[in-house]
Amino acid sequence: MTLPLHSKKDLTARIMQEKIYSLLQQGKRLDGRGPRDLRPLTIQTNLVEKAEGSALVTMGGTKILTGIKVEVGTPYSDRPDEGSFAVNAELLPLASTTFEPGPPDERGVELARVVDRSLREGKAIDLKKLCIVEGEKAYILFIDIYVLDYDGNYYDPALISAMAALATLKIPKYRVVDGKLEKTDEYFTPELTALPFSVMIGVLGEKFLVDPQIDEERVLDVSLIIGTDEKGNVVSIQKNSPGPVPINLMDEIIEIAWEKTQEIRKKFLEMVPAKLASKQ
Amino acid sequence: MSKPKLITEDGIRTDGRRFDELRPIKMEVGVLDKSDGSAYVEFGKTRVFAAVFGPREVHPRHLSLPDRAILNCRYHMTSFSVEERKPLGMTRREVELSKVIREALETVVFLEEFPRTCIDIYIEVVQADGGTRTTGLTAASLALADAGIPMADLIAAVAVGKVDGQLVLDLNDIEDKYGEADMPIAMAPRFDSIVLLQLNGRISKDEFPKALALAKKGIMEIYKLQREALKRKYSATPQGGM
Amino acid sequence: MPVYFSDHEVVLPGQLLSDNGKRSGEGTYVVDGKVYAAQVGLATIRNNRVCVIAFKGAYRPQVGDEVIGVISDVKPNGFDVVLGKHLTGVIRIPDRRKVQNLGLRVGDVISARVKESSLRGIILEHTRRMRRFDKGLLISIHPAKIPRLIGRRGSMINMIKRMTGCRIVVGRNGLIVISGPSPAQEFAAVTAIKEVEREAHTQGLTERVGKLINSILKGGVR
Repeated sequence: MTLPLHSKKDLTARIMQEKIYSLLQQGKRLDGRGPRDLRPLTIQTNLVEKAEGSALVTMGGTKILTGIKVEVGTPYSDRPDEGSFAVNAELLPLASTTFEPGPPDERGVELARVVDRSLREGKAIDLKKLCIVEGEKAYILFIDIYVLDYDGNYYDPALISAMAALATLKIPKYRVVDGKLEKTDEYFTPELTALPFSVMIGVLGEKFLVDPQIDEERVLDVSLIIGTDEKGNVVSIQKNSPGPVPINLMDEIIEIAWEKTQEIRKKFLEMVPAKLASKQ
Repeated sequence: MSKPKLITEDGIRTDGRRFDELRPIKMEVGVLDKSDGSAYVEFGKTRVFAAVFGPREVHPRHLSLPDRAILNCRYHMTSFSVEERKPLGMTRREVELSKVIREALETVVFLEEFPRTCIDIYIEVVQADGGTRTTGLTAASLALADAGIPMADLIAAVAVGKVDGQLVLDLNDIEDKYGEADMPIAMAPRFDSIVLLQLNGRISKDEFPKALALAKKGIMEIYKLQREALKRKYSATPQGGM
Repeated sequence: MPVYFSDHEVVLPGQLLSDNGKRSGEGTYVVDGKVYAAQVGLATIRNNRVCVIAFKGAYRPQVGDEVIGVISDVKPNGFDVVLGKHLTGVIRIPDRRKVQNLGLRVGDVISARVKESSLRGIILEHTRRMRRFDKGLLISIHPAKIPRLIGRRGSMINMIKRMTGCRIVVGRNGLIVISGPSPAQEFAAVTAIKEVEREAHTQGLTERVGKLINSILKGGVR
């Protein structure tokens, strides 16, 4: 049982640390899951009308709401035929006694950057499809992630919600009339060009558990978030806690990551009406 | 965009309502697990979460009050809740609204029951379509009740306004933008008292009592829905699956 | 006494309960001689006073309460103990050597008895009544639900103990330590306790909790 002392400090009961450890040695966990079991996942999309894309994801008790706002801006000079995206994340104080109001702290910044890398290196969308007028106008996607309820591991559901919002994005079409940009009444949904997903893997006494719940998260020796795409590439890694990772465990960690992200991928496609770019 | 017609000769508004009709309202209590009390409220397309933590210790301790609890309130909107993306962080509008909402709630919460503590209220607007502060206050009141914080009464809130010369109840976004007046108002109905009152725009002296009466009518309906939402949570029959 | 509610009716803040302002109890307040509910809860008459048993009333430690806590600080003259989300107590031991001999560390889970409780703080007793738990699971439920978890004359908690075979120590402050012969039995106990917390206000709970434990123990943990 973790008891919030105040703000970021957490007090973990010694017997709970020992219990979680001894359960894991027997292949069991506090909430009845097995070490390789993910928590139940739900995904709802298009629930915020003012956002061009939105998704509410729950993974066990963790709830994440992501919205995408689309703006029109000038492309970067070195990439004149591409649009761009930016990821922000806020750990809302509603979600946990350990989140304080104010600008994102190191955890919020880290979350945004980890999700950003998975989407960018994972090449989830074709930025060239976000170009309106080469060198002049392009779409900029603002992907804003809000943690509403925190029961451990916000990383994976955050990426899932960003992907779900992207998959159901309704971008207003613009056209050039008399040299000026005009918004039409039409929309388009860009195809996804890849399906990057991540899984958080915890290590406790040389045993692994995936998708830690909050009580587990606080007692792990160390944890990593590994992102893969559907082709078997590793597209992001973040060791997100202090503590050593014995190097000989890495092979197995990557294998577990592949297996679990494939599982998430499958669930995602069952739950979200995603358009995938045809395979080359 | 040129000013649209907000109300027809027959008294029909942009969303089909009559002047004294509220938008469809949805209320749910106890929607977030990690807070001590929470609520989710919809007024038409305006959607707001509220969560309460406390009473809890104040840090640093010297900021606490010896004879009562401190009420903290944060009204905040997500970036995608509005048409034009709102940048992260608190705008001046959010700071002002946090203050007036807090003051409304301070009127009814029995702060003296919990000296040297604080009660934190967080309001998060996930979609804005007019009346976000009144929806937020309505939700915050439910969240406080859900958290078991002793209060004299629930607070129900709504905005009345004037569009195309007519007084209307529960303004939506277009009416707020293009109307002549927007007056958010909140009451503790048990004591027939106003706990929040603001005016943006102009309204004649003669219209004012009519606007107030219209607001009160709406507030009594909202108050009834709040009570139903709280009772739903504690009905004697079990809810949900096992 | 004429009242405006039926016994154990769910009432809400601001609801008028009676006209007799002289006979008001917990969970209520008085204005102009009338009694109103201050919290969401069940209205009833106790000791000839109208009161509201709040569903989520704040726990106010009473002298003699047996509580469970986690040591959060070890000082030369005693310990600080976290008793819940927003509650801490202290154990004061004037003898420095005694403190050391107790061998308690930050993170240890103990049971203790409330010695003093006032607005200035909660003081716990450090006598032999204070016990350290060596193993088990620590969970927390809302303190307002503890009476329901215990049940009339211990009926609910004893049923859970008997059916799961677990040792369960319930702190009045909402913290509970569970220790059982197998993970499955401990899991059944935890699930049953959480169900009581969630459905404390409903009827037929004892029977449903019994069925829940059976289904977990027979059907396996998932």
